[in-house]
Amino acid sequence: MKREFKVVGKNIHRVDAFKKVTGRAIYPEDIFMENMAYGKTLRSTIAHGYVSLDTREAEKIDGVLGIFTYKDVPNNRYGVVYKDQEVFVSKKVKRVGDPLAFVVAENEKLCDLALEKIKVYYEEIEGVFDPVEAMEEDAPKVHGKSNILYHFKIRKGDVEEGFRRSHVIVENTYKTHMVDHAFLQPEAGIGYIDEEGRVAVIVSTQYPHYDMEEIASTLNIPIDQVRVINAYVGGAFGGREDISLQIHLALAAKVLKRPVKTIYSREESFLAHSKRHAMVMRYKTGADKEGNLLAMETVIIGDTGAYASWGENVMRKAGVHATGPYYIPNVKVDSYAVYTNNPFAGAVRGFGATQVPVAYEQQMDALAVKLGMDPVTIRMKNIFKVGSETATGQILTEGVPLEECLSKLVEAMGYPYGKEAYR
Amino acid sequence: MINIKLNVNGKDYSLEIEEDKRLIDVLREDLRFTGVKEGCSEGECGACSVIMDGRIVNSCLVMAVQANGSSIVTVEGLVKDGELDPVQRAFIEKGATQCGYCTPGFIMAARAFLNRAKDPTREEIREAISGNLCRCTGYNKIVDAIEEAYRYEKGI
Repeated sequence: MKREFKVVGKNIHRVDAFKKVTGRAIYPEDIFMENMAYGKTLRSTIAHGYVSLDTREAEKIDGVLGIFTYKDVPNNRYGVVYKDQEVFVSKKVKRVGDPLAFVVAENEKLCDLALEKIKVYYEEIEGVFDPVEAMEEDAPKVHGKSNILYHFKIRKGDVEEGFRRSHVIVENTYKTHMVDHAFLQPEAGIGYIDEEGRVAVIVSTQYPHYDMEEIASTLNIPIDQVRVINAYVGGAFGGREDISLQIHLALAAKVLKRPVKTIYSREESFLAHSKRHAMVMRYKTGADKEGNLLAMETVIIGDTGAYASWGENVMRKAGVHATGPYYIPNVKVDSYAVYTNNPFAGAVRGFGATQVPVAYEQQMDALAVKLGMDPVTIRMKNIFKVGSETATGQILTEGVPLEECLSKLVEAMGYPYGKEAYR
Repeated sequence: MINIKLNVNGKDYSLEIEEDKRLIDVLREDLRFTGVKEGCSEGECGACSVIMDGRIVNSCLVMAVQANGSSIVTVEGLVKDGELDPVQRAFIEKGATQCGYCTPGFIMAARAFLNRAKDPTREEIREAISGNLCRCTGYNKIVDAIEEAYRYEKGI
C-alpha cells in the first residue's frame, strides 16, 4: 500500500525562495544605515616575521575616524577550538593575510588612502611551508615549541602479522592540495549600537552563537550586551565557521558609536578565511590471494596552516575514515594536524573525509591490478555490511547499503562485473 | 562628478555620480537595487548580471558613464503588477535556488536568453548561463527551471 504523506514525496517550495528570486533576500552588504562609516582591514603581505606599524600619518587624514590595532583589543585572542588567533597581530605575523589593523573612515576611498599611509615595518624570519618539513625538530616554529598540533592514532590487531600473511602489498604516497570554498558572497557585515545600547553585528555566519562569545570575550563585555544577527548567507561550506570581520566591526562600532560596514573583495575573502587541508597520505595495504584485505598502515599529514581552526577535528575525521568503507582486520593509523606558515585550514565540506578516498580507493585499484582482479570484485569482497567492524571498533548494526549501492552503480554503468576478467 | 541618465526597470533617473563608478555601484548604492550582487568584480561569476538594452552584461565591468542613456533591467524589474516573471516562478518550482546569491544573475541571464530562444536544448541553455557561477552546485536544477520557464511562456 502506498502511503500518502503531507511532506515526503511532495514538491515543497523553499521558505525563502520568493525573496531569493526577487532580489529581496538581504545579505549584509545590502544594508545601508544612517550615518554609516566604512571599514577596511590592513593585512600582512609576508608569511612569517615580526611587525610594527606607524599609523600617525594615516590618522591625520580628514575623514578617517579610527585606526584599530591590537592595542585597542582588551583580549586579543580567539579561535573556534584553540585561542591561537589574534584579532590583530601584536608581534609575529604567521601567514600572508594576518589582520594588522582596521581602518574606519567616512567612505571606502578614504579607507584605501589610509591603508596606503600606514607604515608597516617587517622583520622577516624563516618560515615553513611544507607540513612534512614542519614536523622536523629543527623546523621554524609557528607557535610555541612544536608544529604538531594534534596526533590521532588507531591501533587495531597486528599490522606486521597482517602484512606477513599478505600475498600482495601496495605502498604509495598520495597528496591533495589546498582548496578554497569560494562561496559566492564575499564576507560582509555591519556593526552598530542597537536601540538598547548593545553592540550588534549583522553578518553572514555559520555560528552566530560562537561569534557572540568571541566578540564578548575579546572586547571583554558581557555576552548579553552583544547581538549577532545572521543575514542571508551566500554560501559557506565551512568557510564561515571561523571569525572574519565580526570582532573588527563590533570593536569599531563600540568605540565610534556609529554603524560601520565592511565588504571584502574576492581577493580579501581568499585571504581571510580557512582552506581545505592539503594532505600527504602514505599508505601501505596488503591483501591475500583472493583479494581479502589483511592489513593497512597509514600516516596522514594535514597542513593546518598558521592556525588550528578545526584542524584537530578534521584530521581526526581523516584518520577515522582512513580505511574507507572496507573491513580490514589489522589497521594502524597515525594522522597529524601540523602548523605551517600557509593559509590556515579548517572546515570544508567533508571535513577531512574528502581527502582520504583519493588514497584508499587508489590503493584498492592498485591491489586489483596486482591480483589480476577487477576493481569491483575486490571492493565487493571487502565492503562494509551489516555486522562489519570498523577500524575504530564500531559494529555497524544497521543502514549499510553499500553492496546494494555498488551493484546498482555497476548495473547503471553497464560495467561487465563478474562476466569477464578485468585487465 | 558627472551627470548620467538611466532608465532602470522602466523608470527614468538623472544622476550626478563620481566618474569612476561602475554600473553596479550606481545600481546598488545610488538606486538601491541590491538584488544586483557582486561576487568577483572581474566578470567571472555573473552575480551582477543585468540586461542592458536587451543584452546581458556584467554590471561590474560596465562603467556607469558607458551605460549613460541606456535601459537597464535588474531582477527587481521582472515582477510586473505583483506577478512573478515565468523564470522566477520556475526557479521556485524547480528548487533552483540554494544560497540565493547567484540567483538574480542566473535569472537575468535566463531572461535575456528566453527573450530570443526558440525550442532551446539543454546544451543551449547551458551555453546561455555559461557566464554565471553557482557554488552550491545547483546547475541541473537551474537548467530544469529555465526549460520549465520556456514551457510556461509557450503554454506547453
